Amino acid sequence: MFGRKKRRLDPLIRQLMEWVGETNVLYRREDLVAYECDGFTLKKGEARAVVFPADTREVAAVVRLLHRENVPFIARGAGTGLSGGATPLGGEVIISLVKMKKLLRVDLDNRIAVVQPGFVNLKLTQSIADRGYYYAPDPSSQYACTIGGNVAENAGGAHCLKYGVTTNHILGAEVVLPDGEVIRIGDEGIPDMPGYDLLGLLTGSEGTLGIVTEITVRILKAPQGKQTLLAYFDDVEEASRAVSDIISAGILPAALEMMDRTAIEAVESANFPVGHPLDIEALLLVEVDGIEAGLKSQVEDITELCRRRNVREVKTARDEKEAAAWWANRKTGFGAMGAISPDYLVQDGVIPRSTLPEVLGKIREISRDTGLRIANIFHAGDGNLHPLILFDERKPGEKERALEAGSRCLKVCAEVGGTITGEHGVGIEKREEMRFVFTKEEIAAQIRLRDVFNPGNLLNPGKGFPQPGRCAEVKQEIKERRMAEG
Amino acid sequence: MDLARSAETPSPDALPCADGKLGNYLSGDVPDENKWADCVHCGLCLEACPTYLETGHEHQSPRGRVHLIKAVAEGKIGLNESFMDPVFTCLDCRACETACPSNVQVGGLIEEARGQVRRAHPLKGWKGWVSRFFLHGVFPHPGRLEMLGKGLRLLKRSGLSSFARRIGLMKLLPSQLEEMERVTPIPGLPVRKKLPEVVPARGKRKERVALLTGCVMDAVFGDVNEATVRVLTRNGYEVHIPRSQTCCGALHVHAGDREAGRELALRNMEAFSDADHVLVNAAGCGCAMQEYPELFREDPALRQKAEAFAEKVMDVSRFLTRYGFERPKGEIRARASYHDACHLAHGQGVREEPRWILRSIPGLEWVEMANADRCCGSAGIYNLTHPEMAGAVLRRKMEDVPEDAELIPMGNPGCMLQMSVGVLREGRRSKVVHTMELLDRSYRIGDREGKEASSCSDGKSGGWILSSGN
Repeated sequence: MFGRKKRRLDPLIRQLMEWVGETNVLYRREDLVAYECDGFTLKKGEARAVVFPADTREVAAVVRLLHRENVPFIARGAGTGLSGGATPLGGEVIISLVKMKKLLRVDLDNRIAVVQPGFVNLKLTQSIADRGYYYAPDPSSQYACTIGGNVAENAGGAHCLKYGVTTNHILGAEVVLPDGEVIRIGDEGIPDMPGYDLLGLLTGSEGTLGIVTEITVRILKAPQGKQTLLAYFDDVEEASRAVSDIISAGILPAALEMMDRTAIEAVESANFPVGHPLDIEALLLVEVDGIEAGLKSQVEDITELCRRRNVREVKTARDEKEAAAWWANRKTGFGAMGAISPDYLVQDGVIPRSTLPEVLGKIREISRDTGLRIANIFHAGDGNLHPLILFDERKPGEKERALEAGSRCLKVCAEVGGTITGEHGVGIEKREEMRFVFTKEEIAAQIRLRDVFNPGNLLNPGKGFPQPGRCAEVKQEIKERRMAEG
Repeated sequence: MDLARSAETPSPDALPCADGKLGNYLSGDVPDENKWADCVHCGLCLEACPTYLETGHEHQSPRGRVHLIKAVAEGKIGLNESFMDPVFTCLDCRACETACPSNVQVGGLIEEARGQVRRAHPLKGWKGWVSRFFLHGVFPHPGRLEMLGKGLRLLKRSGLSSFARRIGLMKLLPSQLEEMERVTPIPGLPVRKKLPEVVPARGKRKERVALLTGCVMDAVFGDVNEATVRVLTRNGYEVHIPRSQTCCGALHVHAGDREAGRELALRNMEAFSDADHVLVNAAGCGCAMQEYPELFREDPALRQKAEAFAEKVMDVSRFLTRYGFERPKGEIRARASYHDACHLAHGQGVREEPRWILRSIPGLEWVEMANADRCCGSAGIYNLTHPEMAGAVLRRKMEDVPEDAELIPMGNPGCMLQMSVGVLREGRRSKVVHTMELLDRSYRIGDREGKEASSCSDGKSGGWILSSGN
């Protein structure tokens, strides 16, 4: 019976099954529906199949097959990305790396760890914490996101202010190129290789240059001490100025986060509330770390700087448990939007810190113009803004207005000398907005660079750069939708 | 066969008040739109989900399942076999609800979707027969449950089962059933049979409480119920055991038979109508009873009644820590590692209470289990319907159970059987016990003068009989 069924199968699916085994290929419509988007839900597409290779050899074999058959394909980790980098546009084969999830090696002497791409970010820290080490990049999705995905997106996180983003922690990688060739870049223990920085190029290439199948990362000794502070403000502008004051006073906190009133409302009505007052306009969550002896004075300095900006209350976490609760509250902030809104769109602009009050004012204007609430959660220390635009996809026109609001937020960021993404990537979402920061020539130059690795554009096509003629497509789509809705 | 049915198909058991149609769902009792509207697809649930950890498949993850449930409502996919698989492969363990930032009630959605699937595709053949036999023929009938318990007792006591095992007769059973039989204790007498309807408090009465005796609990673990009653009465609580109570309906709701779930819920709401507190010592039952209002979403009057009832339902460990219990004095020298039953930890938020109780027992050496709140794979009758997945989940669970734990206390009969199978499979020496059994044991040892040693660190923990019947 099964044999007959198999004969009816798409020959490509059959060949994929030969490489990775029958149970490691999904192809039925219902199974693929779950792969129609990642954490960015505004654009969905149907994949042709999803394959789950078990090792580099299988990844390479699958890639060679798809390359030969001229079938587009996408690498996918946990699918927690926020710009649609792992979302199919239609007809791609998704290569899911979640079954390659081993921690291959920990070398404390050289302070490195070697992981497979599907290894979950937080698991690395959990695996080495008992020996006093940790992995620094900590995107908010670290409970689920994979290190492979982090490399693709050059993921950041709350602690990137002091410790840098993913690219600062990657020392080497094994990569399957879009034609199936397997190469290694970087060498463990050697900080800088002669020749071009291919590792730097690969990190943050949003899965368009190659598929990483093994990653060597830097691990750090956990700081001796840590203090976490919360500061509640009655005025957003004062809070923003306090951020600038802290940085310009020469203090470098490990993390310096900010949430505004709407964001606080969301996290407090969601699953990890910690009792923030609901009538404040902004809060700062600050963590300082390092040698125990120096922490007290840093805490005092920060408290004093906040006081000068008329803070309502500053408090220090009593113990690690309380600090952990504050962080869980902050890190689940995006997901918490579900508690106050059916859908949200998160933006990821970066601005010079000093322009924070001005930009926040403009975002408020955008919210007024579009009639959509916008919550703000951001890595204030490095000026990485996350406006969360709240909408209800079921209400006609809201999704379009949300997209418009998002785009306008990015425009504001670009205009004050910032840029359109700090850590979430361009993906599908910000393709057009690339024009806010690059000229046509600059974009063309980047595409030529991509073509060196990915000449047929089979690997994650349609991501990262503006699509020719997209404008006309969108108009057509809206027209069709209107007609369908009658 | 095109299994997808259009929403126009009139459903014989559609609720009278519901005329709402939603995509490809049958009308009436459709999955609640507001529940999935909370999901923003962030994926923080993924690593909490045992079936996702096993398969790596998005459609076997919480957010994937929610996405599919929504997709049926949007008319993207039908109410068919491919939808049925992920919806029924879910353990309904609720670990995702603990992880979820925005409180998506995945369990409720899954149960509603199962109701739809079962209405569209009633179980046929032997599966249908077995399911009807147990869900309709046995569980709702205390008399028949007692008979079953009696049969089991006879089988065990007479040595028939070990004889059957010796001559290889048991090999005829599917292996998971055979193992289940091996780990099943010799059932004590059900308390409904053994104890009067009202068991007076020892000393001055502090509160009146009613006890749900449960189906499996009373038939297989009658001793646990007895221990529970002893613990309650010695602490000054008068225990009522209403004879008209019935199965809580959890298994029915999990299996998608919501109509039967509603009937049983109504019977229990009636049976316990006089009670101030409805105490439960089985996590799954407690959770299901607290969720009765979900079954009456479309009937405001009954829903309100169910809400009032649900307020009174409480796990016995939570009740004891809230209303007070005497500190146990009897020493139990053993290394214990507590397992959080999903429907206690994730379902009812009962985590600390059993730990407080157990840690108050003198002599008990405490080893915290890694991932203590991860599912063991029991999940009602999941271990019988999905033996492979349940086995894989159990294997992972056993990796977290400390090898040197002599006692593994917990608060759910399903988990007790499944974890015992785990202990058997791994050749461990640990003994699986209920929290109330340990507390009762400690009280009784304390009562006995001279505190006779009850050390089970002499390597005989397996032979430790908790309910000695005296």
